Amino acid sequence: MKTLEIYDPAMCCSTGVCGVEVDPVLVAFNADLQWLAGQGVQVSRHNLSQEPQAFAANPAVLKELEAGMERLPLTLVDGRVVGTGVYLSRAQLAQKLGLAPVAAPVAPGSFPVQVGSGCCTPDSGCC
Amino acid sequence: MAISVADTRHLFFTGKGGVGKTSLSCATGLALADAGRRVLIVSTDPASNLDEVLGVALGQTPTAIPGASGLFALNIDPEAAAHDYRERMVAPYRGILPAAAIASMEEQFSGACTVEIAAFDEFSKLLGEPAATAQFDHVIFDTAPTGHTLRLLTLPSAWSEFIDSATGGASCLGPLAGLEKQKALYAATVARLADPSETTVVLVSRPDVSALREAERTREELAALGVSNLQLALNGVLAVASTDDAIAAAMMARGADALAGMPVGLAGLPVSSTPLLALGTVGLHALRLMANPERAGSRVETVEVDTALPARLSRLVDALAQAGRGVILTMGKGGVGKTTVAAAIAVALARRGHAVQLSTTDPAAHVAEAIGASVPGLHVGRIDPAAEVAAYQAEVLAKAAPNLDANGLAMLEEDLRSPCTEEIAVFRAFARAVDAGQEGFVVLDTAPTGHTILLLDAAEAYHREVSRTQGEMPEAVRQLLPRLRDPALTRVLIVTLAEATPVHEAERLQADLGRAGIAPFAWVINQSLLASGTRHPLLRERGAAEVPFIRRVADQLSPRCALVPWLPEAPVGVAGLAQLTQ
Repeated sequence: MKTLEIYDPAMCCSTGVCGVEVDPVLVAFNADLQWLAGQGVQVSRHNLSQEPQAFAANPAVLKELEAGMERLPLTLVDGRVVGTGVYLSRAQLAQKLGLAPVAAPVAPGSFPVQVGSGCCTPDSGCC
Repeated sequence: MAISVADTRHLFFTGKGGVGKTSLSCATGLALADAGRRVLIVSTDPASNLDEVLGVALGQTPTAIPGASGLFALNIDPEAAAHDYRERMVAPYRGILPAAAIASMEEQFSGACTVEIAAFDEFSKLLGEPAATAQFDHVIFDTAPTGHTLRLLTLPSAWSEFIDSATGGASCLGPLAGLEKQKALYAATVARLADPSETTVVLVSRPDVSALREAERTREELAALGVSNLQLALNGVLAVASTDDAIAAAMMARGADALAGMPVGLAGLPVSSTPLLALGTVGLHALRLMANPERAGSRVETVEVDTALPARLSRLVDALAQAGRGVILTMGKGGVGKTTVAAAIAVALARRGHAVQLSTTDPAAHVAEAIGASVPGLHVGRIDPAAEVAAYQAEVLAKAAPNLDANGLAMLEEDLRSPCTEEIAVFRAFARAVDAGQEGFVVLDTAPTGHTILLLDAAEAYHREVSRTQGEMPEAVRQLLPRLRDPALTRVLIVTLAEATPVHEAERLQADLGRAGIAPFAWVINQSLLASGTRHPLLRERGAAEVPFIRRVADQLSPRCALVPWLPEAPVGVAGLAQLTQ
């Protein structure tokens, strides 16, 4: 079974609903991960502020972190880094995972993200 | 009986700011200790004055109170607790993760919510772990003001429901995720709160309509959480045989009316009543008198006061009217009358021919009620959290639904039920209200301090966020912080009472605003007995006790200051409100 690992920047939650404006990228990405899990991919997701041990335990991830925080989010397929600094679209994820091409990608394309943006910023008081 | 009598191990005192929670919890604790029990008093209020009341410097471990055998007290400082929590989460990764990663983790744990959760964590340790307080017969919590208390109390059940029902896994647990392993402790804490053989919750109120209404709200919310062992403590009841003093007579009549019209839910509770005392409530002697008022006797000294009083509120309205437009925010702790002051200013401005929008974000406010009949040019609106949340959820779902499959939509709906959503929705409504200040006057009575600061903190974070990402931010939100900081547009009025705790809290509020780069325009001292013209000896003595606080506000704390007398007519309706600005 293929594994997909996502290493998110430090944020309050990874679903994108708790900013001043819902982040459509995070909402769509979250739905994409659900879809992939339904396709039999083993999906795991780690947030730097909640699971730093996952980052510390993975040498490939540590190496990227040392290169700079803008490398987050990281996308790893079977332990290999296949994406840095962006949330890949459903079509891109499917392609990296060697799944059948997605007919009509429901998600918007890939977007660059800022570290700490998207979800709750630290002082936003929302959570 | 003067103070509540409870045999449970845990006692909680809750109520609006300034109703006397700290005094009553200390008087109760002292009475129990004097009866031979071992008692621990705990404060979780960030603006705690427990040290002042007990006359001892307190820390985060129990300190014996000199002069009261068996009485101990401690202060939970939420900010220190948050710092410790942050360290626990981050420290193991120093030297393992790069410095930039550590810094971004630290930043994530600097929010208001971490402070709240860390304080609750400390509180859970005392309540959920019997061993922590085994050497005490009673543990008394002088809890923080109502909104804060309720958040503390409702948080665990909100979260445990959330944890139980979250299906998606990666849901918005926020900083609480690191505490999920403490679920058992939180569950024990909630169970103890709801167990009538273990816990008594004392709702503290003054004999006035708004404080009683607030107590009823708390009672309802606690009942919904399964907390049923409740008592009502009426503090500051004026009871004199007869009087020819108009102020004393009005105060007694208003108190009697308020009690006669007490909400049914409260009327069914066991009630204790503490008289209005000439003496303050600082120090063990005063606390013992509070529990045994008959020992105070009837000796009241005649006091003459010679001090220059600050200007009346009408002068402040003149200054505000000059700009012809702008945002006027009244701020202060619950119970100081910021809704009344906001409504009075709005009515006065409208009567001078200005277009005025009066909005409230205070969940306990009844502005529309306070206005009664309509005034030309004045519009009254309410920021209703429930309505704002519903509108926000609908807007988000409408926007996101086209891009989501059924599963994704279900997850989004679940996430929109998280406690964050209300903060965001209310914040957006606040930004919209401030936006209207470009045209005419907007008068806002904001919610209690913690919430207010949360909003301003949020404004700051959003501001930084916006200047970086320029996303789909509504223009009103983008402009909010610069507008709040612009002295030509926004005028912050700090409302307080001429008493120790309210002035102390207002001072903290001013410091908090300063950190956000906002300087108040003026202070308003409300409900002054000194300015009321009373001749009643007890009330005159209390009026004289206001002098050092009035001087401190007028001479040291405020750029300009207005003094509003205690009014014999309740400040309700247009005529009642007009008394404030005459």
